Amino acid sequence: MNFNFSRRTTVWLAAIIVMVNGFFPAVWILLTSLKTETELIRSPITYLPEAATLENYMTAFTAQPIGRFLLNSVVVAGLSTALCVLISALAAYALTRLRMPHRNLIMSLLLAISMFPLISLMVPLFKVMRELGLLNTYLALILPYAVLSLPVCTLVMASFFQDIPPDLEAAAMVDGCSRVGALFKVVVPLAAPGVFTAGILAFVNAWDEFLLALTMMNRVNMRTLSVGITLYQGEFAFPWPLISAALIIALVPICIIIAVFQERVVGGLTAGGVKG
Amino acid sequence: MSEVTLNHVAKSFGPVNVIKGIDLQIKSGEFVVFVGPSGCGKSTLLRMIAGLESITSGKISIGGTIVNDLPPRLRDIAMVFQDYALYPHKSVFENMAFGLRLRKLPEHEIQTRVNNAAGILQINHLFERKPRELSGGQRQRVAMGRAIVRQPKAFLFDEPLSNLDALLRSEMRVEIKKLHHRLGNTIIYVTHDQVEAMTLADRIVVLQEGNLVQYDTPDGIYNRPAAKFVAGFTGSPPMNFAPCRIGEGGRVLHVAGGVDLPVPARCVDECARHIGREVIFGLRPEHIGVPTVDAPGIERIDGSVLLVEPLGAETLGLIKLGKHDKAAEVTGRFEPDARLQVGQNLPIALDLNHFHLFDCKTGLAIRGNGW
Ligand SMILES: Nc1ncnc2c1ncn2[C@@H]1O[C@H](COP(=O)(O)OP(=O)(O)O)[C@@H](O)[C@H]1O
Ligand SMILES: [Mg+2]
Repeated sequence: MNFNFSRRTTVWLAAIIVMVNGFFPAVWILLTSLKTETELIRSPITYLPEAATLENYMTAFTAQPIGRFLLNSVVVAGLSTALCVLISALAAYALTRLRMPHRNLIMSLLLAISMFPLISLMVPLFKVMRELGLLNTYLALILPYAVLSLPVCTLVMASFFQDIPPDLEAAAMVDGCSRVGALFKVVVPLAAPGVFTAGILAFVNAWDEFLLALTMMNRVNMRTLSVGITLYQGEFAFPWPLISAALIIALVPICIIIAVFQERVVGGLTAGGVKG
Repeated sequence: MSEVTLNHVAKSFGPVNVIKGIDLQIKSGEFVVFVGPSGCGKSTLLRMIAGLESITSGKISIGGTIVNDLPPRLRDIAMVFQDYALYPHKSVFENMAFGLRLRKLPEHEIQTRVNNAAGILQINHLFERKPRELSGGQRQRVAMGRAIVRQPKAFLFDEPLSNLDALLRSEMRVEIKKLHHRLGNTIIYVTHDQVEAMTLADRIVVLQEGNLVQYDTPDGIYNRPAAKFVAGFTGSPPMNFAPCRIGEGGRVLHVAGGVDLPVPARCVDECARHIGREVIFGLRPEHIGVPTVDAPGIERIDGSVLLVEPLGAETLGLIKLGKHDKAAEVTGRFEPDARLQVGQNLPIALDLNHFHLFDCKTGLAIRGNGW
């Protein structure tokens, strides 16, 4: 065989592999969610649903309070993201702009912390939340989620802040901003791609998280989606089409968010502010 | 009302002293230029005045108020940066209006001020553009416009022209000077370019390694340099230097390479005080040329041409003074029709009425009254 592919072919091939790898499961779940359970377990298997049905989606809303799960997830993920982005913007600013001693050490520590296994934090976090009486409240998840995403968000934003000329801030401060004002009026808007990237990371982290959500919230109406979806399975039965429908419902908000912000994430905003 | 005063101002970054105790008084409405080689602390000093760098010790006051502890926004100054520092996400109009909006001026006032400034700078037609859609010269104008609309006590410029090409630079230089005549604000302007300093300044501050070496008018800086550093920094080409010893009761300079030069009568007294000392003799290129008239203080010497640099309006010639192997080499300015040839021997006239002496060690000028 002749492996003398052109560069273009190679790039396309890689892109296709990535696409298939990423989309196949999602598409499979989508297809499953449109099938009946009988169709799913029939052999030979059908790829496209024979008679597509939205019944599973109806059941998803009646069998469990998925609307409530959705709300819980949105509140928890949304607020923890806002909190995390705010704090990591300030941290990233300090790390890149103020002449901090041990800056590199702090950056490395952040990286190290972001690799910390969550499971080792479970027990202490649970105890803390119980002592604070926060179990079964949104705060029990908002606080740890914000903290868990802090290192990576800080690192992402720091790398974006670094590319913004310090003189822009100086100009803003001379023009009439306080230091914090210059950060939020000039640096953050210019680092928008970085801020949105960090925000999406934090949001997705919070949206997907399972262990803490399971531990901190044991009242059904405080469950988040990731935990709520598991409630669809019976003791002996796995209603796959129903679970798939719930999964698709859980996917929708993430897709919307990424669709809305993807344009913002595309960089190039800073071009032209300085000489260039 | 907007004088700027520095009192023993110093700055260190950790253990490194970057500004070493500077005293300076800038009068209201004066155009002062900080000049010095790269790294001498010009920007740091300017940013300390702006409030962008903290002051390690000393006092800075603007318009009679000590501003040491005031953030930049409360110092009532405007600044133009080397890389323009325009807000990339704002239009030209909004770039200029930003400072006014922050100060919550009424909209009609903002419109008026921005339009006026844009009129002066001829950038009205650019209002809707983003900075990235502008040329370097246009960006520079917008940056100046952003400063003008503020109507501040003082304008601070940090090498505003160094990113422009030579032609645009001399054009903008003229504009800035006109602007100063028109607005009359105090201006502090940083540059490493002595031509900019000489042409723009009412007074020049020459900085060397964080020290103020001389604070004087362009005339004073050029004709009465306080130190060899200043003399070697100004003029193009700069002053010629040669080691020398003062002898014969202060009446003769023994210049290295076996050339003896008589000291003009009015300088003998001062020179007599430094008899036997090793000093540095300095003479500017315009005081070295072909002999024309005989006048007191003009000394003829045999020289030979080592190098010729025709510049059009004039010709620079590198001349060896005398015959000695280690003879001093100096640059002189000649008329183009002097037709210098490399290797040519010719009589050279040195106008000693304009000579300078500097201490070998300290580099400070040795100068009597009325030199
Ligand atoms: N933030 C800083 N930290 C440490 N040293 C600095 C800092 N800023 C400037 N310096 C040092 O201060 C000296 C003067 O710098 P600067 O004022 O920028 O010089 P200039 O503008 O005259 O070229 C330089 O030696 C520079 O390395
Ligand atoms: Mg500088």
